[in-house]
Amino acid sequence: MFKVAVTLVVSAGLAVCCAMMAVLIALVASSPTKGWSGRSLSLLDPTYASKYIPIIASVSEHQPPTWPSYFMDINVLAFLVPAGIIACFSPLSDASSFVVLYIVTSVYFSGVMVRLMLVLAPAACILSGIALSQAFDVLARSIKFQLPGFPTNSEVDAGDSNPITVEAKNNAPKTDKTGEPSKDRPSRKNKKKGKEQAERPSVKGKPEKKRLLVLPMGASILALLLLVLLSAFYVVHSVWAAAEAYSAPSIVLTSYSHDGLHVFDDFREAYAWLSHNTDVDHKVASWWDYGYQTTAMANRTVIVDNNTWNNTHIATVGTAMSSPEKAAWEIFNSLDVKYVLVVFGGLVGYPSDDINKFLWMVRIGGGVFPHIKEPDYLVNSFL
Amino acid sequence: METEMGFSRFALFLFTIALLSSPVLSDLVLSKVDRRIYLTSQIVRYTATLRVENEGSELVSEVLLAFPELQAKNLAYLTVSVNEGKGKQKVSTDDLPIEVVSPKNMPPAVSFYSVTLPKGLAPGDSLTLDVMAVFTHALQPFPEKITQADIQLVVFQDSAYYLSPYAVKVQSLSVKLPEARIESYTKLENTKVHGSEIKYGPHEDLPAFSYSPIGIHFESNQPFSNAQEVEREIEISHWGNVQITEHYKLIHGGAQSKGEFSRLDFQARPNVRGASAIRYLVATLPPRAHSVYYRDEIGNISTSHLWSDSKKTELLIEPRYPMFGGWRTAFTIGYGLPLQDFLFQSEGKRFLNITLSSPMVELVIDKLIVKVVLPEGSKDISVSTPFPVKQWQETKISHLDIDGRPVVVLEKTNVVPEHNKYFQVYYKFNKLSMLREPLMLISGFFFLFVACIVYTRADISISKSSASYLAKQQWEEVQAAIQQVESIINRCLATHDKLEASLRDLSRTGDVQACKAARKTADGLLKDLSKELKPLLAFLQSSPSASQILPKVEDLVAKEKELQERVMTKHSTVVDAYERKSAGKDIENRVALQQQKITALKQEVDDLMEYIDEI
Repeated sequence: MFKVAVTLVVSAGLAVCCAMMAVLIALVASSPTKGWSGRSLSLLDPTYASKYIPIIASVSEHQPPTWPSYFMDINVLAFLVPAGIIACFSPLSDASSFVVLYIVTSVYFSGVMVRLMLVLAPAACILSGIALSQAFDVLARSIKFQLPGFPTNSEVDAGDSNPITVEAKNNAPKTDKTGEPSKDRPSRKNKKKGKEQAERPSVKGKPEKKRLLVLPMGASILALLLLVLLSAFYVVHSVWAAAEAYSAPSIVLTSYSHDGLHVFDDFREAYAWLSHNTDVDHKVASWWDYGYQTTAMANRTVIVDNNTWNNTHIATVGTAMSSPEKAAWEIFNSLDVKYVLVVFGGLVGYPSDDINKFLWMVRIGGGVFPHIKEPDYLVNSFL
Repeated sequence: METEMGFSRFALFLFTIALLSSPVLSDLVLSKVDRRIYLTSQIVRYTATLRVENEGSELVSEVLLAFPELQAKNLAYLTVSVNEGKGKQKVSTDDLPIEVVSPKNMPPAVSFYSVTLPKGLAPGDSLTLDVMAVFTHALQPFPEKITQADIQLVVFQDSAYYLSPYAVKVQSLSVKLPEARIESYTKLENTKVHGSEIKYGPHEDLPAFSYSPIGIHFESNQPFSNAQEVEREIEISHWGNVQITEHYKLIHGGAQSKGEFSRLDFQARPNVRGASAIRYLVATLPPRAHSVYYRDEIGNISTSHLWSDSKKTELLIEPRYPMFGGWRTAFTIGYGLPLQDFLFQSEGKRFLNITLSSPMVELVIDKLIVKVVLPEGSKDISVSTPFPVKQWQETKISHLDIDGRPVVVLEKTNVVPEHNKYFQVYYKFNKLSMLREPLMLISGFFFLFVACIVYTRADISISKSSASYLAKQQWEEVQAAIQQVESIINRCLATHDKLEASLRDLSRTGDVQACKAARKTADGLLKDLSKELKPLLAFLQSSPSASQILPKVEDLVAKEKELQERVMTKHSTVVDAYERKSAGKDIENRVALQQQKITALKQEVDDLMEYIDEI
């Protein structure tokens, strides 16, 4: 009886699973993009977003990166990574082949979308760490074995470092070892390698001798110092990049003029004015970049914000921004908007204001409302 | 506004008629009245010098001051003092006590204040009184809505004749305006304009309650900064700091702004576009103020400057945006002051001597709330203020508090900078109560550390005779025994190696005696080792928890013995062969079989050792 019940439950469960799988496959197969969302499709086909979904293309983090942005982000690692890839091949183990695959795919994808530089960064760090560590290994070894008064190779312990070429020709150490009475049993793995023969002395499990690199002393000290300096400058650059590029809140803009630091606090001024001088239920329409800031600091309802998934809604606001006054007034009136927030940077030369973003508003609005055509907004209608 | 002005003028006209039919009060006569009204800021300041003569036959001990009721509603501050100097030398004495009175048989819509004279005025004597009054919200913006480019014009209404229950012999009025630009003013006879000053008078021999309304319409670009609510919190910490936090809700009280605000115009030509905007506020803090911060709900406001010297600390703050008419803002200012400047001791009580109102210059406050937070454990709290305020007590719970700190709350409406006088809060505080907070922290950490010590050192095993505990102990013993067996076997194997080595020596040197000697020592060693092995094996056989591993160990021992025997036979064969001087190849053939077996056995022994190791 028990066996029957078990079989029943298992088969019922399997049937349910198969049914769900079938439904899932049907859903995926029926969607036009086979289940891929817009953002991930644009990774495979970088022109997809700009053709079909302008709102994804308009986000500046989705653009392909330029070479300066690579150097800004990974700096020195840009030329240490290829060295690391080569170093990974010297003993090609599972781990090192994984890292090579990782770096190659992440380099490709980060070339498609600058936001994916985040994915490249750990791989780049690992590989440059490998490259630097190999370099330090060679240089430190060169210095170590050329230091005056370094003891000769009589106490090389089993399994670890390799005998250097200078002493390798000397067979005497080996026969000394075989005669040592107090030596403990060497490790068993090494023992397996050696074949015992009555006549000849056995080779005690040493890995095969390699000819290893030893650079001249002066050059290796200089190279070591330069590598340390390089790493130090890299640290300085990383700290600066973290402070300036990743931590500086773009809500307070600073500029250094001849009389010290000048602070442009215009955003907070506008939000504070909205917060104190408008009614609580007045709505503010702006481009979606300022949505969260307005909600948090001005404490007013916005029409679209950074997390709006409704493309049509954003397109409505974009259309209103690109229409003449009467049409725009009607759109905003239908949305029950009391205030419109627009950022203009012409007075001080702020480069990422709404005028700069205007063509994207046109494109996004035109993506949903066909009466907004991009060539209407350009002086010479060839792109 | 036209109709309003007309209406108020009509009301005043009726009022004047009513006044003329009212009785004359007492026998005082004002022989000379000089009035000066300062309209140079949003706060209207009014000083009057009255020369009072007692023309009756009785001692008079009080003088009545009259203000029209509309004006009295805006009265924020009133002081009267006796002026004892002669001629140009004016020496003021202390303020005289003033009371609001409502005497009978007086005309309506007039408020009366009664000033008590300290020594009374003897008949025939005369006295000079200095009256100072401060009015808020007395300037009406007209027009009420202006654009950014318009100038702000305000209207001030008063009477050219001094309103008084006594007859006035000679009087004059002078009005000082902020700028020379006057839109319009009521022209009576004897009116002169000098630049930004208008003089009315002198008028002679006017009866009591004479009133002649005048209105002045002029330009005033002074910032009409009006705080609707100010909450000032003064927290005393006996560890050496008085922390003051002030929350402001500010509004621009002038003409409302209509139309658009153009920042470009405002920055390019600030005096033409937006002359009446509030651009900054100045606060005068006590000297040695430290840790000054200026922030609002959103965050820190960076547009501020601080200068300090030995007498005062000046703080200039700019609100986030320039304020035009009707605009609001809100912010918080905080600073710390050294305790020894403000806390003193007298007669067993401590008292705090600090200014009551906000340190801002020329700020009209509609509602001021002052909270004085005293340290926990303060008793017998009493407050003494230079003018009446509404007060009550609360509790505030703050860091390391058990019951909460007593808070004295004072409230006053319609506050002007003249109210910023010192007030005192008296309380009793036991010196030992200061140790309460450090002791609380110290004992907390102390008990935490003691608990950690006890926990790590106490033995909290539940029972020493539980089955699992015993089983664990037995298993440990078995493991120790196995380790010893392993070491013995290792030593046996080492001895085998020595024998092999001696064979090799033999092949090299041909020294048979040395070989035989080695054999003898090896024999002895092996015998000792097997003797050591016996008790261990017996123990393992007896203990129940070694039952799993016992067969393997026995197997290992057996194999090792076999190996030992074969090595011995091989050794003896080789030695014999050497003694009989047979050829090398011959020897090899004889020992080949043995050698094979030896190698195989060695391999098995190795495997077993590894297996036992892993358990």
